[in-house]
Amino acid sequence: MIARAENFGPGRSFWARISSPRSVGIGGIACGILAFWIALPPLTVRSPELPILFGLIAVGAGIWAFVREEKRVGAGAVVCGLIGIAGALAALQAQTSNLQDVIVWSALAAATLRYATPLTFAALGGMFSERSGVVNIALEGMMLMGAFFGAWGADKTGSWIGGLLIGMASGGALALVYAFFAIHLRIDQIVGGTAINFLALGITGYLYNDLYGNNGTPNNLPAVPDVNLNWLDNIPPQGLGNFLFDSFGSLNLLVWIAVALVPLSYVALFKTALGLRVRSVGEHPRAADTVGISVYGTRYAAVTLSGVLAAMGGVFLSLGFVNSFTENMTAGRGFIALAALIFGGWRPYGAFAACLLFGFSSALATRLPDLSASESAAWPLLFQTLPYVLTLIAVAGIVGRAVAPAADGQPYKKQ
Amino acid sequence: MSETAAPTPEPVPEEHQGFAARWEVYQRAGGVITPLITAVFAFFIGGLVIFATTHKNPLSTYKAIFDGTGLNWLSPVSIDWHLFYPVAVHWHGWDTGALAATNLQQTLIITTPLILTGLAVAFAFRCGLFNIGGNGQYTVGAVTAVQFGVWFSGMPGPLHVILAMTMATLAGAAWAGIAGLLKATVGAHEVITTIMLNWIALWIGSYLVGFGGPMQDPRAISAPVTRPVAESAKLHVFWGPPTLQGLHIGFFIAIAALVVYTLILKRTTLGYQVRAVGFNAEAARYGGISVGRSYVVAMAISGAFAGLAGSIDLLGWEFNLDLTVVQTVQIGFIGIAVALLGRNNAFGIFFAALLFGALLTGTSTRNLDPSVFQPELAGNLTRIIQGLVVLFVGADVLVLYVWQARKKLRLARKEAKP
Amino acid sequence: MAPDERPVLELRGMTKRFPGIVANDHIDFDLGRGEVHALLGENGAGKSTLMNVLYGLYHPDEGEIRIKGEPVRINSPKDAIERGIGMVHQHFMLIPVMTVAENIVLASEPTRAGVLLDYGAARKRVTELSRTFNFAIDPDARIDEITVGQQQRVEILKALYRGADILILDEPTAVLTPQEARELFDILKTLIREGMSVIFITHKLHEVLEIADRITVLRRGKRIDTVQRAGATEQGLARLMVGREVLLRVEKASPEPGEPLLRVEDLGVLDDRQLEAVRGVSFEVRAGEIVGIAGVDGNGQSELIEALSGLRRAAAGRIWIGDRDVTRSGTHAILDLGLGHIPEDRQRRGLVLDFTLAENLALHDFDRPPNSRFGWLFPARLVRWARTLLQKYDVRGGGPQAKASELSGGNQQKVVLAREIGRDPQVLIAAQPTRGLDVGAIEFVHRQLVAARDQGAAVLLISLELEEILSLSDRILVLYEGRIVAEYGPEATEDQLGMAMTGVDAKDAA
Repeated sequence: MIARAENFGPGRSFWARISSPRSVGIGGIACGILAFWIALPPLTVRSPELPILFGLIAVGAGIWAFVREEKRVGAGAVVCGLIGIAGALAALQAQTSNLQDVIVWSALAAATLRYATPLTFAALGGMFSERSGVVNIALEGMMLMGAFFGAWGADKTGSWIGGLLIGMASGGALALVYAFFAIHLRIDQIVGGTAINFLALGITGYLYNDLYGNNGTPNNLPAVPDVNLNWLDNIPPQGLGNFLFDSFGSLNLLVWIAVALVPLSYVALFKTALGLRVRSVGEHPRAADTVGISVYGTRYAAVTLSGVLAAMGGVFLSLGFVNSFTENMTAGRGFIALAALIFGGWRPYGAFAACLLFGFSSALATRLPDLSASESAAWPLLFQTLPYVLTLIAVAGIVGRAVAPAADGQPYKKQ
Repeated sequence: MSETAAPTPEPVPEEHQGFAARWEVYQRAGGVITPLITAVFAFFIGGLVIFATTHKNPLSTYKAIFDGTGLNWLSPVSIDWHLFYPVAVHWHGWDTGALAATNLQQTLIITTPLILTGLAVAFAFRCGLFNIGGNGQYTVGAVTAVQFGVWFSGMPGPLHVILAMTMATLAGAAWAGIAGLLKATVGAHEVITTIMLNWIALWIGSYLVGFGGPMQDPRAISAPVTRPVAESAKLHVFWGPPTLQGLHIGFFIAIAALVVYTLILKRTTLGYQVRAVGFNAEAARYGGISVGRSYVVAMAISGAFAGLAGSIDLLGWEFNLDLTVVQTVQIGFIGIAVALLGRNNAFGIFFAALLFGALLTGTSTRNLDPSVFQPELAGNLTRIIQGLVVLFVGADVLVLYVWQARKKLRLARKEAKP
Repeated sequence: MAPDERPVLELRGMTKRFPGIVANDHIDFDLGRGEVHALLGENGAGKSTLMNVLYGLYHPDEGEIRIKGEPVRINSPKDAIERGIGMVHQHFMLIPVMTVAENIVLASEPTRAGVLLDYGAARKRVTELSRTFNFAIDPDARIDEITVGQQQRVEILKALYRGADILILDEPTAVLTPQEARELFDILKTLIREGMSVIFITHKLHEVLEIADRITVLRRGKRIDTVQRAGATEQGLARLMVGREVLLRVEKASPEPGEPLLRVEDLGVLDDRQLEAVRGVSFEVRAGEIVGIAGVDGNGQSELIEALSGLRRAAAGRIWIGDRDVTRSGTHAILDLGLGHIPEDRQRRGLVLDFTLAENLALHDFDRPPNSRFGWLFPARLVRWARTLLQKYDVRGGGPQAKASELSGGNQQKVVLAREIGRDPQVLIAAQPTRGLDVGAIEFVHRQLVAARDQGAAVLLISLELEEILSLSDRILVLYEGRIVAEYGPEATEDQLGMAMTGVDAKDAA
């Protein structure tokens, strides 16, 4: 245990490095994933031996790492191994043709990006807020505002650009309300965020019923356009080109905006003077105050920005994804985004990776029910729990490793 | 300064005050006045919303909602309101009729689970935890209660009821206990875990109850609904028609739960531990209290209240569980507003639950005249009011704090310049 | 000495009130060019408040500030910085996860293309600046990787970077060894030569006599006197500061050590980042003696205390209380064996501020008869027990039903003492037991510790104040980077301890 700090010391041989408990554990995780993957198309191994072998290797490696004080990675490998075996056995139960219908990697990739998009917007928004020291449980509500007002704005202005702008403004406005309570009135941020979520649920539900009633939002809502990248298809070799085109050839504009915002946020937060100030406020507000940075001003700006970004995720839901608004359509995505943010260590690339993971689980959850032979079976509903279960596991697995901004969630009191 | 140490409190640094501690500040300060102001203010803003969207007099709308709650049964006079002042008072005797009585029964039926989910939130609060998983725990309790109510149909009545309720309570406790365990062992934030558990409970419940699910009533193949619980598992109805949602004894169970809640917190070592952890977890740990264990136990007790709420609804008046109920549970969320408005104390929680119970009944499709105010709008209005209540209850800490600080400052000035 | 004809800074009638107290009551103060003016007073006298007002962190209720003769209003630190005022706070205003250069340039960063942070330029300017003043500081080091002494220099550089010519130092030596303090004084002398003026806040008498040109003494928010260094004595200043004669040494009989009650062997403890904070520490404390552990903050004291009291698992080695091995025992079991523990931070750990005093006094024993039986609590019995203790330990400001938060700091500490010593512990750990207390309360705490020793307890005193260690301890251990590097008798000098605390080999030092 004491030796842990020396694990990554310099001058260690290659062999010593790959035989460290941590590396073995990570290898185990990979083996577990492999166990499942080989049972799926295109390999579609149809006998149980190989997946079980890989799964057991994963479990073994996990236990080995676990008893050598790499508890988290070890436990992860054990879980991955078991899930890998279970998944592979389940896949073996299904018809090969069914499997090939469900596991279309290009379609899964595209769906993963689509499901990850609202999460990415919200997680990046949450990052600015939390980096400035304000916990934002209210991402869910701000997203919902964006979803409704985006749809309403598009309906009223007759253009998706109008919808997007109005949606972003609505999220920013709600964020401003939250900011006032969280920053000036120093309300408990968890309670205040929850209140804002209720408020957003009520406001959007009320206006939705008042304005659209039983008919729902109009069918001809102006949608955010897709970006067609036909040239992807021509990339040699043929298989790769097809895959790239099927995956990324016709994604929504907002998907690409979300992807582009990831490096942009990184630069803004870590490479600019303003970013340095935002982070200083989130780490040690009094220190920032004593050199003349306005703590309140910085936090207001960051929280408002988080609302605008989360609302963009909401606009994507209503105008880029399903093209309508329904009550409470965000379905916990704001909270999943928050979990992704934590999972990603309050960093843009990490958060984006976590969003992709959760997006992938959602994509899988919507496609897996097709595996079942009969139409009327109820059990595929259980796949709907997948993103939530994964979030639960992720939150349970990483806490203690990632370090939150030191002043996150602490109201600042000017003297 | 020798032994004449003036009683000047050291200013307590904000970060040393726990979550529960900050609540305590204005619980002491506010008494009963601030929750009242909070509620009035929330309804006032709700009224503005009504006026802005429907251009109707908010007071007459609220009056319509109020009439639907049955609370007018308690009052032998009715008052005609004209905007802000009464224009006429009518005496109409105690027998306003069966309608008001039925409505009041409705209100109390809804108040019952709200008391319990309010307690669920409040108990976790006292341990410094924010349980927003009441919905999931309620669902788990309801599902369990139905299953045990359907099974064992030959059992003698009281035993059957106790069995089903106990199992539901334990199920709720276990479900919330997961979040407590994750908090205690790996430090996962309970807000995220309980929200995720809500959604997981929702989908598992939908699977169990929905079309083709294992609990769906085989005789009602076209409806996603479970079989009704056996007669022996139904709670006794003491006011109103037993079959048509009369008031059942679950109401008294909820009242008893209020007493239990207070006793646990004030008179047991468990309550001492929970409160110590809630106020200052670090000091509790230093004092030899296992903080992790307290988290798990507090979360479990909290979930037990919510699970009990689910069983009482099912055994008291719903009798079978409907897919739409599983998918639209709000009781747990409203419990947050109940607990906050009731300031985590038994009396407060009772009245806050009554307020929201009345609001829910008054705005239900059955009791609200659509020509006055659309029930769908009213339902969402309830959510808005609920959000405002939570927001303002949180914020009035400051209002009071500033007020007190000013008072003290003025005093200090007087001392300085005699 | 011999300041210019016109003071660079004048404060006239400064008054600041907080709810319930007047922290500064019409204080006059002035600072000449090239002068070190010390602000002397005990904890709570109003020194820091006055300086926070000057730095724009507090807004004064009355009074006037003049800088170079010109009346100014200072509403925020920004205003203060613009007027050439720099402040090194007692708790450093540095961001631990950022680099030295980032901390120094924060809020006036060099940029490229208007928005992008020009880190290269920042580093260059920091390097130049530290070369000018002869500071050896690596601009790329993270704050949490450098020593406290270096952090203080970063703070000074921060002020210099912003062009300060008035420097306020708030209790700058509290975290330094005597040797580091001397280095700081050398730095200050350099700054004075460069034309700067320094306000030096402290409660340590010998320091003001060493560095200050003039000394202003505050007591309970009022200015008592301003004296020249020449002719001032420790005794005289102490009398001004406290308002009565002060015993500078604790009176105690010679110790009669008995059986060892606390034994530690080869103890290793990891900190929160899984790094070794305590490395192979062995010692014992006998019945009837006070063993002091001296050391600069952050050398493993907190982790050692936590391991001894069961709050942190030992990574290696063993701990005995009496003849019981408690290495693997939890807090509860260790408390049962008769450990008393006065924690470092009474508000964070020692007290549940929202509990009543009765509840606080029962923190270790609420789940034992007679306080409770079968999980059922008897609040009336808690109150009865509390009443006895509060009387015995002379706690003022509230009865058993008062909240702990309503008491003054000194009385809060008395409550902690009452609880910990009232249980008649075999072993008593006292971690910085007098932090933030005034002289009266300090004397009380010291008397209680000696009394516990005389009743046969083994007392382990951990303190950052060398004076406290020297006046109370029967034996002194020095902790440096998690190791015990030296042991002294009570006759040791501050210099000896100071050398050992910086890791200089004990034999060389002795």
